[in-house]
Amino acid sequence: MAVRDKLVSAHDLDLVALGATGDRAAFGELVRRHGSAVRGLLRRMGADAASADDVAQDAFLAAFEQIAEFRGEGAFRTWVSRIAARLYVRRWRREARADLLADGADEEAPHPGPGADARIDLDDALKTLSPAERVCVSLCYGAGLSHAEAAAALNAPLGTVKSHVKRGLDKLRSRLSPDGDGGQRRQVGA
Amino acid sequence: MPDQSFEFRLERMFAEPPAAPDADYFALRVLERLDRGWAARRFVIGVMGVLGGLIGGFEILGTGALGQLTAAVGRSNDYLSQHVSGALAGALAPAGLYVDPQAIWLAGALAIVAAGFGLARLVREI
Repeated sequence: MAVRDKLVSAHDLDLVALGATGDRAAFGELVRRHGSAVRGLLRRMGADAASADDVAQDAFLAAFEQIAEFRGEGAFRTWVSRIAARLYVRRWRREARADLLADGADEEAPHPGPGADARIDLDDALKTLSPAERVCVSLCYGAGLSHAEAAAALNAPLGTVKSHVKRGLDKLRSRLSPDGDGGQRRQVGA
Repeated sequence: MPDQSFEFRLERMFAEPPAAPDADYFALRVLERLDRGWAARRFVIGVMGVLGGLIGGFEILGTGALGQLTAAVGRSNDYLSQHVSGALAGALAPAGLYVDPQAIWLAGALAIVAAGFGLARLVREI
């Protein structure tokens, strides 16, 4: 029990160092801490709950394999989120949805649903984006990839990614609270 | 720069993890998959090691190297018994100590084991 308490209070970098020596319990604590964020990012990218869990698990397994490469320049969460985002993009492309990235292929966004007037937050706002816009925006603002890195991950031209990001941002800006007091603010319709 | 401030805000929103009540269960599943992967890997390495050992063993037997090795061990044993033991016995005789040739073999084997432990520790430290 004392060991678990020690892990719970340990810093991420210490857990990473322990994980690099093969300490499963330390790595498990990292998964417990950051699993929700990684799964959340994948869902925001457009994955359904089951796919998000699958890809997140794969990402953590890959992270354990590569943990010695993590130098601590950034946060562990960012590092593992990037791995997960790239894995999801690979799956997304494999499922032949990559053609959606072509310029002018903006399909009509899924219907935001009845919550559109009642409750608008980031998750709802993202649903108003096309799949390509959603993936591009999530890669750049959720996983912290640069436009060039996102283009490389998507195997798409840089200009295409930039235009998807720009269109996505424009839509999000108009959907999220226009007065800039926080996107998570709940707006209640009349 | 309203655009930039919106982008920062968006990054912050993305950074806020959604609540997941099954975080412990998710971590457990990841660790289970990790253990399964390592178990499978250990099994494959073990099977390959056994196969490699068998193939190597048969190759050694096939080339008659075993006979040569036995002869070489016999020669070295003779040499050790005659020279090293003799020299040690001569050196320790004034102190009244008796040196058994087998003790030299045992000491040598223990020294090799100790060196192995030392090397393993050194590799781990590095």
